[in-house]
Amino acid sequence: MKNFREVAAGKKLLKKDYVAIMMWFMGKAIQAAAAVDRAAKKEFVDMPDNFTFALSVMPNGPHMIVGKDQRGFVRYRGWDPEGKRIDLKMKIKNIEAAMLIFTFQESTALATARDRLIVDGEVAYACAVVRILDIVEVYLLPKIIAKLAVKRYPGWSFRRKYLGRVLVYVRTIFGF
Amino acid sequence: MRLLMYLPEHYEFFCPVKINSGNRALEQIPCELDALNARKPLVIAGKDAGERGLVDVIIDAFKDSGIAIGIFDGVPAAPDLKLIKELFNIYRDRGYDAVIAVGGGPVADTAKMLNIAVSGKPEDIEGCAGENLIKRPLRPLIIVPTLAGTGYEVSKYAFFDGRSYESHFLMPHLAVIDPRMTIPEDAVTTAATSLAALSHAVEAYTGSGKNPLADAYAYTAIQLIMEHLVNVIRNQRDRNGSLSLANAHAMAACAFSNVAPGVAHKLGKVMGDVCHLHPGLCMGMLLPHILEKQMSEGGYHIPDLLLPLAGFEAYASTAENLRARKAVDILHDLLKDLSAVSGGVIPRLWKDAQVSEDTLQDIAQKAVGVGASFDMDGCVKIVRQAREGR
Repeated sequence: MKNFREVAAGKKLLKKDYVAIMMWFMGKAIQAAAAVDRAAKKEFVDMPDNFTFALSVMPNGPHMIVGKDQRGFVRYRGWDPEGKRIDLKMKIKNIEAAMLIFTFQESTALATARDRLIVDGEVAYACAVVRILDIVEVYLLPKIIAKLAVKRYPGWSFRRKYLGRVLVYVRTIFGF
Repeated sequence: MRLLMYLPEHYEFFCPVKINSGNRALEQIPCELDALNARKPLVIAGKDAGERGLVDVIIDAFKDSGIAIGIFDGVPAAPDLKLIKELFNIYRDRGYDAVIAVGGGPVADTAKMLNIAVSGKPEDIEGCAGENLIKRPLRPLIIVPTLAGTGYEVSKYAFFDGRSYESHFLMPHLAVIDPRMTIPEDAVTTAATSLAALSHAVEAYTGSGKNPLADAYAYTAIQLIMEHLVNVIRNQRDRNGSLSLANAHAMAACAFSNVAPGVAHKLGKVMGDVCHLHPGLCMGMLLPHILEKQMSEGGYHIPDLLLPLAGFEAYASTAENLRARKAVDILHDLLKDLSAVSGGVIPRLWKDAQVSEDTLQDIAQKAVGVGASFDMDGCVKIVRQAREGR
């Protein structure tokens, strides 16, 4: 039939790669922040042992998996959910929505409010993850960008903010 | 002060349309299809959508979704049953399970007819013409409106091959309003479609079928149109304004689907047919005159119209007995403003559109024939006022 064609779904490789790198760095930074920052640590203390959550982009990733082990240490568990028991899945509906979040045009809280995420699991833990992401973003980003990325920019002390930032970066880069 | 909220003794309201609107809304379609249990959509669009690059935007939105889509971008201005049968064969043979219509008017009507066919068989289409003759829910239908549509595409109505269809099952499951798709084509089309939506919303808000839920849709639609229409005509790159208008069109259609069509709609359609003008322009030109006549007959809800038209401050600062008059004046002023900002391209009065007085009786007669609630003299008076001005 004239004017008819079938189009296979293309790829957005660059955007996918960018989001994958951001998620990898963010996952490592969550591990670091849980060791450095009291508020982040407290959020994880309230989660059960062996609790694992994943932040994913629908339909096929990338993924960021973070969990708490039996001793209460927070670990970045990689980007592959295959074979892992995941208690809380936070799924970003598409790669463009993920780009809005990871280019800091929309905060995670705002993206959730705008229905760009689906939560599969306990909502209370999902809220805790959003708060942890906000803390990590304040450490990682300069104020001018972090203000866009978080719900409310906190009034932290100089020591907490800058010493914490150094420690989070060092731990993220060296992976401990 | 009189209580604004009006609750009729009885009303029914049904709106199954999910509206997904805003930045990157199109990229949500794969996820929404999944929720509708569909995996392979057939996209249909008019030739102009392809030429304006709108189909490419849809293709781009499906990237990374893993979903292959079928695209037919050749819906003509007057589609027929032969086209539906061809599309039906494609849909069935290639295993599609949802229809996405890009645009309004004939494209949306074609999508609705195709959906009747694929939810049963093509022979069902003719038998479904009329009021509430579709007896069961249809397959997933998604509408992606452009500003060339009046919102009618989101409504329970369809008009195809000389037949009218009316059923809530014709309403789409989802309307996706994305700013990339709502760029105005030209000032006259944008004004015409928005004036049609405004007429639908105003008639839902002031008509006898008024109810609190239809009010919610109509109120917001009126406010959005009043806030943005003139600005969009002045500056057609006003992305937020265009998106707001497309939202207003969809909301007006949801309200319109739950009340009986009013005089402006019926008379405007007849006038458009007879004079070969966009029916939306005719509805807009007629609306203030119709309200004036209803006012003189004691139109109970017309004073309340001032609130969505002009806002809280203007409403509160206007004496109760002057509100109806002021509401009508604001609609007259809107037409004047549209004509002024478009440099006269958008006609304010019917005579500006170069239409002769001879057609007046013909229009009135046909309007009475299709059930406009005024008598012959009333229709003649309104059409004359719309032609000559007050």
